[in-house]
Amino acid sequence: MSRTDEREDVPLRDRIGENPGPALRWLAGALLLFALEAGAVVNFVTGLFGPGVELPTLLSRELIPNNGYQDPATGAWQETFFGLSPALAWAVRVVLVYAYSFVVAWWLWRGYLVFREHYRYADWTPKDDMIDRLRGHRWGQFGALIVFAFVVMAVFAPPLGPTTVERTISNPYSYEIQYVDGGEIQSATVGEANLAARSQGSPDQNVGPMQYDEYGRFHPFGTLPSGKDMFTFMMAGARVSLFIGLLSIGISGFIAAGFALLTAYYKGLVDLLVVIAGDSIMSLPRLLFVMLLSVVLSGTWIASVYNGGLLLALIFAGTGWPVMWRAIRGPAMQVSEQEWIDAAKSFGQKPRVTMQKHMAPYILGYLLVYGSMSLGGIIIGVAGLSFLGLGISPPTPEWGRAVDIGQSYVTTASWHISFIPGVMIVLVVTAFNALGDGIRDAIDPESESGEDEGTEAAAAAGGGA
Amino acid sequence: MAQSESVPNRTEGEPLLRVENLQTAFFTEKETIRAVDGVSFDIRRGETVGIVGESGSGKSVTARSIMGLVDSPGRVLEGSSIRFDGEELTDKTEKQYRQLRGSDIAMVFQDPLTSLNPVYTVGNQIKEALRLHRDMRGAEATEEAIDLLEAVGIPDASRRVTEYPHEFSGGMRQRAVIAMALACDPELLICDEPTTALDVTIQAQILELLDDLQDERDLAIMFITHDMGVIAEVSDRVNVMYAGEIVESAPVEELFENPRHPYSRGLLNSIPGNQPDADRLSTIEGDVPTPNEQATYCRFEPRCPKAFDECSRVHPESLAVNADADDHTAACLLYPEDASQAEAVEAHETRGTQEVSER
Repeated sequence: MSRTDEREDVPLRDRIGENPGPALRWLAGALLLFALEAGAVVNFVTGLFGPGVELPTLLSRELIPNNGYQDPATGAWQETFFGLSPALAWAVRVVLVYAYSFVVAWWLWRGYLVFREHYRYADWTPKDDMIDRLRGHRWGQFGALIVFAFVVMAVFAPPLGPTTVERTISNPYSYEIQYVDGGEIQSATVGEANLAARSQGSPDQNVGPMQYDEYGRFHPFGTLPSGKDMFTFMMAGARVSLFIGLLSIGISGFIAAGFALLTAYYKGLVDLLVVIAGDSIMSLPRLLFVMLLSVVLSGTWIASVYNGGLLLALIFAGTGWPVMWRAIRGPAMQVSEQEWIDAAKSFGQKPRVTMQKHMAPYILGYLLVYGSMSLGGIIIGVAGLSFLGLGISPPTPEWGRAVDIGQSYVTTASWHISFIPGVMIVLVVTAFNALGDGIRDAIDPESESGEDEGTEAAAAAGGGA
Repeated sequence: MAQSESVPNRTEGEPLLRVENLQTAFFTEKETIRAVDGVSFDIRRGETVGIVGESGSGKSVTARSIMGLVDSPGRVLEGSSIRFDGEELTDKTEKQYRQLRGSDIAMVFQDPLTSLNPVYTVGNQIKEALRLHRDMRGAEATEEAIDLLEAVGIPDASRRVTEYPHEFSGGMRQRAVIAMALACDPELLICDEPTTALDVTIQAQILELLDDLQDERDLAIMFITHDMGVIAEVSDRVNVMYAGEIVESAPVEELFENPRHPYSRGLLNSIPGNQPDADRLSTIEGDVPTPNEQATYCRFEPRCPKAFDECSRVHPESLAVNADADDHTAACLLYPEDASQAEAVEAHETRGTQEVSER
């Protein structure tokens, strides 16, 4: 629920007006953090209407460049950040990106604490307990951490890669790099360099993880069989996966929640109709159905949006909502039996408002849990489709395609091509499930970890007193 | 209330609520359960009508039928009539009904713990009703909510209005629920066991509050309970329900002094303390049967100490208990008591066939 809704007497703005200190301090920090990255936002927004406006940004490749060449005379690196080696320059940028993200996340958390301490009416709400339980849930925290890392990958994909998608994947022959050959500085197109950096399985034709290629470029995850940098590929792929995952979970969650509320409120015939619709969809073998749809619809205009990403999101949403609806129908039914629903009906509240105000808050938690758990499934599904050659069309990076193109090299020196994306898919999917577990246990006040927390806290308090 | 002099003359004018032959049935795959089966009674302005009976006798379903809140698979059957202030309610669409709920008829539920939504402040929930029917919002609505909380006797209302239900005690919560129900100035208040979940001292306070509110606002109250003590305290008139039917109806004093139906007698006998000499509390053996068919017999017969052969053959109708009683009816073959048993059975039989043919 939004903090500004009418549940409290005095709107949040007035409460801040009475005691602006903490809010202003927090806002100042937030503005400072934003200023560091304002250039990227401006660039993105103006980029929607033509060439983006370039402003200096903390986390840009321009500020910390990692592409350069080694001076043949001195052996020092030129054009890289402070003359560091490309590997180090890249590492500095990655560390900075993650440090920045952590600070932003921490600052948001601080913001919540400031709100809780200074501006919230109630000194305790059930949400506080949920957060406490989540804080004691190691498995959920593991999930949250990996998910956080994954989201940062998707959001900061351009500065994280040692090079950009544009340079190495989309238009390799439009960009030049300088390199040292035989004691002289020469230049070649990226495409030519990529040809020499291919990972083809044999020891002499392979650039593995954490290695430099012949052109002095550093590849944290090695290269693809085409010689393109795999780390860049993976970061951009994270963006695609996250976009599809979030969009389809958003849509199917919305459908599922809507139907769950309707079926729980009206029961009877409405329930039956949705059960029939949901069961018919669920009875289809999902992956086959998804494949069929993505092939049938591949010629339409919708398949061209985001290289088929939108289409995939819609297909996964359309086939995924019955599962979610099934999962939250029970809780919704339970809430609909509560007396306050009857009370709302008895003073003539409209059905829509009753559902929104008195039922929806209780199923949102479940939605979050099941959404987080099925997000992993969608990421696997998209990867699976790309593995089969369907799904996201090349050259747009997608993790599943990396697994696919690397599969014939698994037993060779180029094992990294399939292995790294495979492990990352497993990690991310596990993490989303773990996060879902954590949220579920946090929401359920009777969950075991929560009780342990409670008794521990009580014991600690008792010891203190 | 029962003792007050202001008991209205029941023959005067049109009642506020007139329920006639109300039948509500639940259609399940196995059977049709006639939870309310031909109930008739009326309620006048400023009057409290009690409905008393065991669990499962159809009291709550009666209340929900009046509110139009019977959930699927339940339905109010054809031939039922609920007239409120001269308007027929059974013909209303859901939308028209919604206009009526809250503004004309309001309801207080059994459990104050769950009839307030724990995630919103008490004020928010009162304001929700105000906004709906009286189009008040913002500061104006808050003022009104505070006034309402004060009216139901909540001290420090201006602070309480921003508190959450968990910060209220049980009695306070029920007061808040009553404030919510009164928000839109209803004419009829249906109280579905409003004191069952409260302890006895709080119970007395709530009953007193309802009494005061009734005097102030000329409220008609329909009071549902299984507690004979509460009924004696609060109501002007009592309807005793059993297995979906009203088995006895009388002014409260008359009923307590002179219960006629064996079931009412059983209920009164099972009040702890009514028979100080007895070792054991007398009870009515057995359970309320599930009314799953049209009755052609007396539904209380299996448990009745006074049952005779005719009871399993003839369905008793509500008839005056004797020629002198104009306001006391019982649905039992033993009555009218001034007739011989054969005549009485005859009277019930003819009345029953008449009604069936009318339907």
